[in-house]
Amino acid sequence: MKTVLVILITFCYTASQAQDNYFYLNWDVTSPLTNKEWIGTTATRGAKLGFRKFIGSERKFSVGGDINWSYLREYKPKETFQQPGGAITTDYFNDIFNFGVAASGQYYFPLGEREHFFPYAGLGLGAGRNTYSVSYNIYQDQESSWGFLARPEAGILVRISQRRKLGAMAAIHYDYLTSKSESYDYNNFSAIGFQLGIMLMQW
Amino acid sequence: MKKIIALLFLPLAWSCQPPDDTVKLLDELVVSTNYDTDISFDSYTTYSMATDTIGFVSNKSPNDTIITQRESDYPRPVLEKVQTNLAARGYNRVDSDEDPDLRINVYVVNDFNLFQEIVYSNYYYPSYYGYGYGYGSYYGYPYVNTYATNTGSLVIEILDLRNITPDKKVKVIWSAYMGDVYSTIDLIKQSQEAIDQAFVQSPYLDRQ
Repeated sequence: MKTVLVILITFCYTASQAQDNYFYLNWDVTSPLTNKEWIGTTATRGAKLGFRKFIGSERKFSVGGDINWSYLREYKPKETFQQPGGAITTDYFNDIFNFGVAASGQYYFPLGEREHFFPYAGLGLGAGRNTYSVSYNIYQDQESSWGFLARPEAGILVRISQRRKLGAMAAIHYDYLTSKSESYDYNNFSAIGFQLGIMLMQW
Repeated sequence: MKKIIALLFLPLAWSCQPPDDTVKLLDELVVSTNYDTDISFDSYTTYSMATDTIGFVSNKSPNDTIITQRESDYPRPVLEKVQTNLAARGYNRVDSDEDPDLRINVYVVNDFNLFQEIVYSNYYYPSYYGYGYGYGSYYGYPYVNTYATNTGSLVIEILDLRNITPDKKVKVIWSAYMGDVYSTIDLIKQSQEAIDQAFVQSPYLDRQ
């Protein structure tokens, strides 16, 4: 994972040296909408990093790619599960590790003189993988699956000053992932999220 | 630029996988019980069991087969807790030579991979502790358990001595697996609580 991150950051930084583009790294807060009985808590451990390149000199459209991940975890107090011919009692953690790779396109709405604020709406499409796991005592059960990922997103880029290449970024997004888990009763996985981060811009 | 790089790595560091809250999960043993649904547990009256020795099954130390009270303070409180629960359910302890209805086996399994198996009905295994040499035991019901290596489980079995087969097989009619006993915070206390829980989740195990 660390190697992948280093490669991605290096790639994005190198790519950002080209014209009219930006690289961003966001802290991602995700709240699941599916099967909230299994995990319903909001995850603060998540991130998204990506690169976008503007199309045309007016900077109305951009295309890019991103990866994201988040860890969702919820503690469940001691519970007895009855099963045919027996029972099992334990407290446990339910976990989901959510990982996605997407290609995306954005449209930027005009605002003011287009110097500092760049509100946008976009759509990302790609693939995602969810790893569902239950940890109890020292034991763990786990199930993983890939799925199709669709992610509508709206956000804003804020350029701190014309002289600096550093900016801030905020966005809200909705993720729909077709990752399934029979063991933990997921036909798909959806979540809403809020992102806040920094960007390195080249224009 | 260094400040920017530092800023970049802050959210990355925070977004890594959270550490396991091991203390929260290790302060109680997982208790799994299985029983033969065709058995009427109220038809049995007496049982026999060891009072200061529990079995020990390990693929790391194959020569160690028992844990005695002399060498460890673990057996007695564990065995007494089993007896207390059985007494509360109306079963009377007798000596082995007094023709008991049931035999109670208590042992610790260390890294024995028992949790790796799906055990089906009439699966036989050699008797490595407890009821007499030359006898084997079998489970009358299928069950599945999750496994992890390098683990230890406290196991309690109830064997039906009334219905020994002609080829000297003794049926296991109830079992409890409690683990992991090698990762506990307070081994004896947690083992005793787990034994209580094993009986709580087995209300059918009652003479009355």
